[in-house]
Amino acid sequence: MSRVRVAGFGKRKVLASGWLAGILVAAFLAPTSIPTPDLLHTTQAPFQAGHWLGTDPQGLDVGVSLLQGSRTVVLSSVPAAILTLLLGAVLGSAAGFWRNRALTTVARVAVAVLVAGLGLLFLPQLLAFPLLGSMLLVAAGALMYWPLRRAAWAQRSVAVPLDSLLMGAVNLLDSIPILILVIGVAAMQRPSATGTIALLALTCWTTAARIMRTTTLQIAARPYVEAARMVGLTNFQLLRRHIWPNTWPLLALQLPLTVAALIGLETTLSFLGVGFSPDIPSWGKLLSTVRQAPTAWWLALWPGLALAGTIVSLHSLAGLGANRSDVTK
Amino acid sequence: MKQLLPGLILLLWASLCSSCSPTPAETSSTIRIRWARDPENLDPLIVDNPSANETINLLHCSLLQASEAARGYTPWLAAAMPTTQALNDSLLLITYQIRPEATWDNGSPVLARDVAFTLKVMNCPGLPIEIAQAHYGVIRDIRLDPQDSRRFTLVCVGQDVGTSGDYAILPEYALDPQGKLRTVSVPELRRQQQPALAAEFARRYQSLELARHPERAPGCGPYRLVKWQNGRSLTLQRKTSWWADKLSAPPAVLQAFPERLTFQVIPDAATATLALRRGELDLYSLMPAGEFARLQQSATDTQRLQFHTIDSYQFLTASFNVRRPALQNRLTRQALTHLFNVPALIQASQQGAAYPSVSLISPRLKPYYNDSLPLPDFNPAQAVQLLQQAGWQRSATGSWLRGTTAQPVLLKLSVSYRAGEPSFETAALQFRAAATALGIPVELRPTEPSLLSRQVRAGETDILINNLSGQPFSYDFTSLLHSSSVGVSNFTGFSNPAADNLIEQLVATQQPARKIILLRRFQRLLAQERPFTVLYFLKYRIAATRRLGHIPVTGLKPGYEAARIRPLPLPVQ
Amino acid sequence: MAGWPLLRYTARTLLAAWFILSGLFLLSRAHTDRNTFLQNSTEGNGRRLSASDQAHTTQQLLQRYGLDVPLFYVTLGSAAATGHISWRWHGSRNQYHQWFRQLLAGDLGTSYRDGAPVTEVLSQSLSYTLPLTLLAALGSMGLTLALVLWLSHRPRWRSAWLSGLHVLRALPLFLLATCLLLLLANPDVLAWFPTFGLGLEVEEVAWWQQPGRLLYFLTLPTLSLVLVTVPGLVVQLNGALQHELEQPYIATARAKGASSIRVVRHHALRNALLPTVALLSELLPNLVAGATVVEVLFALPGMGRLLAESAAAQDYPVLLGAVGLVALVRVAAQVLADGLYRVLDPRIRTHA
Repeated sequence: MSRVRVAGFGKRKVLASGWLAGILVAAFLAPTSIPTPDLLHTTQAPFQAGHWLGTDPQGLDVGVSLLQGSRTVVLSSVPAAILTLLLGAVLGSAAGFWRNRALTTVARVAVAVLVAGLGLLFLPQLLAFPLLGSMLLVAAGALMYWPLRRAAWAQRSVAVPLDSLLMGAVNLLDSIPILILVIGVAAMQRPSATGTIALLALTCWTTAARIMRTTTLQIAARPYVEAARMVGLTNFQLLRRHIWPNTWPLLALQLPLTVAALIGLETTLSFLGVGFSPDIPSWGKLLSTVRQAPTAWWLALWPGLALAGTIVSLHSLAGLGANRSDVTK
Repeated sequence: MKQLLPGLILLLWASLCSSCSPTPAETSSTIRIRWARDPENLDPLIVDNPSANETINLLHCSLLQASEAARGYTPWLAAAMPTTQALNDSLLLITYQIRPEATWDNGSPVLARDVAFTLKVMNCPGLPIEIAQAHYGVIRDIRLDPQDSRRFTLVCVGQDVGTSGDYAILPEYALDPQGKLRTVSVPELRRQQQPALAAEFARRYQSLELARHPERAPGCGPYRLVKWQNGRSLTLQRKTSWWADKLSAPPAVLQAFPERLTFQVIPDAATATLALRRGELDLYSLMPAGEFARLQQSATDTQRLQFHTIDSYQFLTASFNVRRPALQNRLTRQALTHLFNVPALIQASQQGAAYPSVSLISPRLKPYYNDSLPLPDFNPAQAVQLLQQAGWQRSATGSWLRGTTAQPVLLKLSVSYRAGEPSFETAALQFRAAATALGIPVELRPTEPSLLSRQVRAGETDILINNLSGQPFSYDFTSLLHSSSVGVSNFTGFSNPAADNLIEQLVATQQPARKIILLRRFQRLLAQERPFTVLYFLKYRIAATRRLGHIPVTGLKPGYEAARIRPLPLPVQ
Repeated sequence: MAGWPLLRYTARTLLAAWFILSGLFLLSRAHTDRNTFLQNSTEGNGRRLSASDQAHTTQQLLQRYGLDVPLFYVTLGSAAATGHISWRWHGSRNQYHQWFRQLLAGDLGTSYRDGAPVTEVLSQSLSYTLPLTLLAALGSMGLTLALVLWLSHRPRWRSAWLSGLHVLRALPLFLLATCLLLLLANPDVLAWFPTFGLGLEVEEVAWWQQPGRLLYFLTLPTLSLVLVTVPGLVVQLNGALQHELEQPYIATARAKGASSIRVVRHHALRNALLPTVALLSELLPNLVAGATVVEVLFALPGMGRLLAESAAAQDYPVLLGAVGLVALVRVAAQVLADGLYRVLDPRIRTHA
């Protein structure tokens, strides 16, 4: 059974890696300049001289846009997806592992509250003299911590509601539908390329965090984790050896989905009229031009195929990774 | 319970089967028209979008109506165009006579009193109609004729007769049955001298919630509101006995044929096209060019549908922000004009259905249009020449520089436009390709609408591509190009003493011959100064089912006159 | 204290709700652009005002909307004369105070666009959104469970199906819905379903025809939503199920002679559902938030369109009301999901 699977995956793996390598090559070979629109041949069907894959309603060549779009996938969509997942994974597993009983001391809490309060109160001055101000703040914190260091009452432990805090943040972020959030941000400032990546990563991490939190909760409650804790493993050892190996496959499965979601979001934003600059050509934007010419099947087919190929390749590689991790366990 | 479930499923199935019948047969009494958006607010004094405007014009009558055929205003509720008399340098007396036939729904006549009441509402403090108050603030007072209850005189600031009569007249009997506002005058309300009375009326007016319940202020127009489902549809029913029916030969503004009008809100263009083709819609105006051309080529669709295009007064412009150092010189702006390939743009984004113009006057307005000016052509070589004349020098790296070596100005531009509008993007991309070929770096900035309007007001854009459509018959360019409007609505920042002078003369003059001379001179000035360049005037595209008969199309939005559609009688079976 | 878990839970939930709502209020108002209100109102009718009129009218509008007072109790402002930045105290005459007092009285304010009470606007939109999203959610959950169970017995089909689902997932909702529209509501292909809305007003329908009619008109929108939701759910649930099936307790169950169907349904599925519950708790708020794209495409005036339109028109009371409602449902879904965890996996006990 397992041998069959390995052989089957072997062929797929080659195919998948081949496709992704192709995308990578295309990304670096794609022309860097925006081509001249061919205004005499707008929305032209494919397989005609000059534009083999057809043109969009703007008169831009679909083939060239596809190539340039692959660069956007490599340089922004995938990094954004990975960033998103990592952010969600770290926060989610921390919340699931420590829940609401992450411990710290009264002294530290008191110092943190004091420093934050002073910082807020003297924010105007801090903005005027950032360097001097922050040095003074650190000094004030240290000054306060020094006497508390030895006091017994100040060394009593206090629980930090890590889980509640995280879920609060998740709820706050998720209660604003992401489309609305992006529309809102676009109304304040025109999104740049890096700004878009950061915005997407900062708003999309909640799904990953949620999944990681519940899986971690579940696994941390298993008897062998308890046993390992009894043996005296530190928290980080527990996380690294027993929790992460069991949780990250679920995360790997999310990668292709997240990439697809990010590209889909781009399309939807174009649909709602929040376009990104044509300087950043993308498959999503190409897909959204179908709206202007609903019968132009080539505008949906080519980027759709490219998108599907990439997602399936990412998926089969992620699935492989997940399988291997199970084998080592 | 177990017996109940199959029963429920059976019921659901039966009802599903019965409703899955093909689309309802076309009923001749209702005309279904597509709207892209909901009117949202139907307070007759607010009117802030085209859908609301269309509805209000079917429910209410104004004294005057902008008419394309008349190239200006025609009398509507007024019996004839008003007579004017200058009181002094700034004040104008405008005397109206209301049609004697005009009545409200309860049979009582429409009188000068109702106009006075409308003006008092408009000037009543505490109502959510600030914009109407500001706009119609030019009407300072109304004087009723003691002999003739249908005759009155308005005291207005400025020379604009149109503004004095293009607001819906409200029924006093419905909104102020006790006539409490009769005791107070318009100037008193403006100066807030009767605060208690005004506050009491404002409270009463607001409790009517006219924004959502327009039926509470029944107008004297031909239709009444039957049903309004916000965001979905709005249905109007022809009044069985409307006062204009008594006229033997009603003028065009007083004709209303359809029994029932239903406006369907369908935001997406592709969905609306499908609905039209399936007979779920009867009329689709302002259709995208590509779809329109495709339907015209399809044999089955041409059998069922009729297609119209009409020249509009809306035009696509590229505006130069003259405050920018790189764009201060008019030769530079002239040079950049030569980089727009207008015929190709018309072909690409309007399928050839648009027409170029030398300036902001439509070529259709023959006497006013300055046809001796050449149309701007696509000519990069001449652009280079003009750039050199303007003092730009090409550096070794290929970029254009001007000014001293210590403080050189680099010719580097950004093009801003509203995101998601394909024709803007096509023009921007074409301009960029042409400019890049000459070594002028151009950045494209598609921007979200509210952010764009903020940037434009702050003068942060270089080149702006947008649609403009002014009042085609007013020829008042103060807000667009006068130096007093810089920072408000003059978004090019253009200020030129000669232009200011011409604009002021245009507003002041009433004689057509003089107006022609001034307008032609103004167009020549704009062609030289080039604060903006007109790329093309749009055509409105209207597709409708053939059973509607002849569609009265117009170059003013929404492109058709719903009340004057006359459906063909159903063929006898 | 430990004797009052429910009270503590309620207090915490209320605190979270207050925090979220206040955050949303301050975030949305902080970037209010004063001139945009006038811009939105003057755009449509082509009325252009002179400079002094514009300034005056803007001030009047701001005053009517209550936006002429400071945002919060304290603001960071710079004195015009010196440019010196400092904290300034405004007392209770601020937007936040007024809004919160209204909120406590159950008043969500009125829409900037038409002066209608926000609650009325919301309930109207919900009446379109709830049937649509409820149908879509039930459809997706049913389909997901069926598909995952079916796949668990057919390992050979699994990878092909999963790849297919990934392709489906990769397609944006707008494209899927457009495709469905062009395939199933097109006179050139198949005109099985209506293109838009919920039917015309002129048609009179008997009461027993109502549900069927609703179903008929909502088929295409629901189908697009189901097709877009199912892949994510299936992939997640399938992954978790396969993971569970490799756990030792399954081997024990098998050794005890449980049939493979029984092993999957009674042992593995229960545990595998746990991470999926997280996704389901996301589904609930989405029911209320609506689906903007589908609502625009099929001309349904639901919550999604309301949210997008009010965001574009800067209609803050409506926007805040809608987003706040979604937030509250989310908090409720969170509570529900926590409860479900406990039912599904008794080992998880939050002692907090």
